[in-house]
Amino acid sequence: MNWRKLLKIAGIVSLALMITIIPLLSAGCTSAEEKTLKAGFSICYTGVAAEKGRPMGNGKLDCIKYINEELGGVAGYQIEVIWRDNQYDASKAATIINELMDKGCLLFTTNSSAMMTASAEIANRAEFPGFAVFSAPALTNPPQHIYAQMPDYGDDWAAFANYYLENIWQGEGEPKMAMHLLNNSTGYGARDAAVLLADELGIDIVAMEEHTTTTISEIESLTRINALNPDIIYISSTPQPTSIIIKDAVDLGMYPGVTIGLGHASITSELIEFAGADAEGVYGVYPTVKWGDDVPAMAKMTEYCQEYHPDDYGNMDYITSWAEGLIVAEILRLAVENVGIDNLTPQAVEEYGFKKLDNFNVGGLHGPVSYTPGDNRLSKAVRVFQIQDGEIVPISGWVDAPLIPYEFD
Amino acid sequence: MGLPAGTRNYSYAQDMAIFRTKTHWAMLLALLVILFTAPLYCGNYWLSVANLIGITIIAATGLNILTGYCGQLSIGHAGFIAVGAYTSAVLTSRLELSFLVGLIAAGFAAGLIGMIFGIPSLRVKGFYLAISTIAAQFIIIWVISHWTSVTGGFTGISVPPASIGGITFTSQASLFYLIMVITVLVVFLAKNLARTRAGRAFVAIRDNDLAAQVMGINLFRYKLLAFFIGCFLAGIAGSLLAHWIGFMSVEHFSIMDSILYIGMIIIGGLGTTIGPIFGVLFIRLLQQWITSYIVPGLEGIFTLPAGFATGIGPMVFGLAIILFLILEPRGLAHRWQLFKASYRLWPFSY
Amino acid sequence: MAELLQFVITGITVGMVYALIALGFVLVWKSSGVANLALGQLVLISSWFTYGMLVQAGLPLWLGLLLVILFALALGWVIERFILRPLIAQPILSLITVTLGLAFFIEGAVSFIWPKSVAALPRLFPQQPVHIGTAVVSQEYLWAAAISLILFGLLSLYFRYHKMGIAMRATADDQRAVQACGIPVTKIFSMSWMLACALAAIGGVLMSCIGGITFGLVHTGLKAFSVVILGGLNSFLGAIIAGPIIGLAENLGGGYLTPLTWPGVREVIPFIIIIIVMFLKPYGLFGEVRIERI
Repeated sequence: MNWRKLLKIAGIVSLALMITIIPLLSAGCTSAEEKTLKAGFSICYTGVAAEKGRPMGNGKLDCIKYINEELGGVAGYQIEVIWRDNQYDASKAATIINELMDKGCLLFTTNSSAMMTASAEIANRAEFPGFAVFSAPALTNPPQHIYAQMPDYGDDWAAFANYYLENIWQGEGEPKMAMHLLNNSTGYGARDAAVLLADELGIDIVAMEEHTTTTISEIESLTRINALNPDIIYISSTPQPTSIIIKDAVDLGMYPGVTIGLGHASITSELIEFAGADAEGVYGVYPTVKWGDDVPAMAKMTEYCQEYHPDDYGNMDYITSWAEGLIVAEILRLAVENVGIDNLTPQAVEEYGFKKLDNFNVGGLHGPVSYTPGDNRLSKAVRVFQIQDGEIVPISGWVDAPLIPYEFD
Repeated sequence: MGLPAGTRNYSYAQDMAIFRTKTHWAMLLALLVILFTAPLYCGNYWLSVANLIGITIIAATGLNILTGYCGQLSIGHAGFIAVGAYTSAVLTSRLELSFLVGLIAAGFAAGLIGMIFGIPSLRVKGFYLAISTIAAQFIIIWVISHWTSVTGGFTGISVPPASIGGITFTSQASLFYLIMVITVLVVFLAKNLARTRAGRAFVAIRDNDLAAQVMGINLFRYKLLAFFIGCFLAGIAGSLLAHWIGFMSVEHFSIMDSILYIGMIIIGGLGTTIGPIFGVLFIRLLQQWITSYIVPGLEGIFTLPAGFATGIGPMVFGLAIILFLILEPRGLAHRWQLFKASYRLWPFSY
Repeated sequence: MAELLQFVITGITVGMVYALIALGFVLVWKSSGVANLALGQLVLISSWFTYGMLVQAGLPLWLGLLLVILFALALGWVIERFILRPLIAQPILSLITVTLGLAFFIEGAVSFIWPKSVAALPRLFPQQPVHIGTAVVSQEYLWAAAISLILFGLLSLYFRYHKMGIAMRATADDQRAVQACGIPVTKIFSMSWMLACALAAIGGVLMSCIGGITFGLVHTGLKAFSVVILGGLNSFLGAIIAGPIIGLAENLGGGYLTPLTWPGVREVIPFIIIIIVMFLKPYGLFGEVRIERI
């Protein structure tokens, strides 16, 4: 058993080396004693939500890199990013938020609503401001120290419903809508809005179906939806399950025929990759511009994306997250200008950064970002897109999503 | 066994004592002093890690009683933790009952649900039983996520801070004391449970349930008791988890967690009290070390596109488990025994 | 009635896909008694490897798929040789946990090598759905069902008539007696892992044709888990019959019970059925009943 002993020694030695050397080396790299602005990112790079977490993580890290390298940071100070991979694990997210606070971050962000729910309460208690890129209504209602970068899944639904009634619906009476929801806050955020607003808008919700992220066939639920003869199917989900639903709807001969509308987590380039020609003509709501649009931030974003993460080119999640980086920089800039670098605390950043946001245009990447008292959503506008010839094409201007009066307890 | 030279037991009480010598007591005191003064020299981050470890130890101890002592494999532990978490959350936030009521009720609710799903254990064993517990997890999560009027459904439920008699536990340091006191109590009770009639019955059932039955052990009663105690502790852990995170969503309880709990107690060493503690420390510290040092460290050293090292995290984690089991298949508790023996006999190890 | 037919056909075809993945699980269990928790991850890595061969390297279909199978066989050999063999004769739970470690390792390796997180395979099967009476089924599922039936047939024959297959069954029965007869047990183990990985690869290719390559593939391993337990851990026949039963339960249960209960009831019906079956037949439908002695 000599080899086993050798293996054991080798294992222990390499472990010891990794424990001691890696933190030392990484500490050595950042030993410059300049004042920096620390921002904390809790990113779901791996784990079940990596599908969205990875391009988003890449987007924001590239954006901060761009700001530091080409713009010389914010107000002359470099942004120091402390980011951690939370692996979509709530308990890990809860320790990460504590670590970010300990490390002296001024604000933090998460990608997803689920990871934000695991961090929000700890952050709220410590008055540590942060925002979630994609968020569910419950996070910002009632408004505390947590903000939402984008309109939430409920706002998507409301915006799509309005657009549908005005531009697509031709029939008599109330249109019949079937909803197909992912079994988490992405899906049920849309449901909350639908329950609250459908009557008022004049839409008849005929079915609420549910699917999982791992579904391989939705024929069964669609068969039942088909029997109800709906005019619209609204899907609030992520690209892969959405593609299954659309393909099954095509197989069942329901689509083309009904109108299919998607929430913003569904309508990305991956959907087209998965569903191919079947997704032709599908409508979707998305809060950003698309790749190749002529907006100020597009050139640099494309350049960085092509250079560092070419795989993500065409993925709209990268855009949202690049925008997230720009917003973080803007908040820090406002805070530094208003209170000075020496007085920066997370509370000051919230008071003089978050709350001073006024019509910041985010390089044109998405709707303007403002803070209105009582509404912790930073950007409030969405656009309606349609998939035409394998491209996601905007078919409306920015539609304002009004604050929906939820009551959560 | 395991006593320094010259120490002899003259009474049953002495023979059964956990802390037999003065050195034992001194080391126990030192450990407790170090543990409970930790908030003085640890930041919030390490305190939160300690809190997570404490909560996980409580849950793993419960699973160890069920799986390690009684031999009933359960791969649905996260589901039972969810029952506890939601019971406590609903009682304290919707009915505004006090935290202690929520905590105890969480334990009982999880214990009862555990007993219900433990009934198949009378007929099925080993891996076949595992499915009944996996089923428990799926059914529990499904009910919680759809019973919107009570649990808040997929939206989740926010949990008020724990408070006992005017003291409110909001900071990590105060939660640390709350969680650690309960953890120490649970470990103490678990250690003693193993030495009672019930504990011995569990071991007999694990080793051979037919033989145990022949000896007059009521299988039905003791198997269900094991499920109750195991899930009761899961419920306690769930309640603490809910008040620690402050917001509960069903996505916090995945089947992967359940599998990881099994991994923890096996790595620690099944059927010992110290085993789960070691296993939890190993897994949780490894996770933190990878997230907070290895991945950022690698990202700092190599100037590759951001995010390249994230895949290395799970790889190192998996590799550590694999290597660990290849080198020490009997778990850390076994290694700990060997270490204690060699320490006692040093320098004459033969 | 039209609905019923649709539910039945969807249920059976989807269930056959589950069964396909489950076969690989049974194979390992049958010969070595190890529950392979890394099943889903094996499916995931072989799907990504297929993507690497067919899309990234742009190889022709036949060559790409051949390489995928070879890769899977090699992977199986490596796993057995370097991870499971050192643990022979150790507590069985340690062996199961080591596959958990393997699962994390593969997961990390996949996101390290293919940082793309999701991808679609080129269409291997015709797009046109097939109409059976009033019901519709896409061809991918039919192909998957046919392939899993063929594999089931081959495996059954192999285990019945081939020398190696018979040796595998003997190993499952009594490792020590087999060793005494001069059959190399380690070779049997390594063979069974290689075959299991190949099955996972075939399952992976079919699954990702249907739904694309995502992290969700990992969870199909779990679904397969319930299939094998319903069928009996060591029975191919059990797996191939339990698969469609689970599929039918999902679709019929979902189809007729959703209006009566909460949405998403489809996800838990198989588990409720399994618990009931456990009461009636504790060793699954076709599992081997162990006679216990004190």
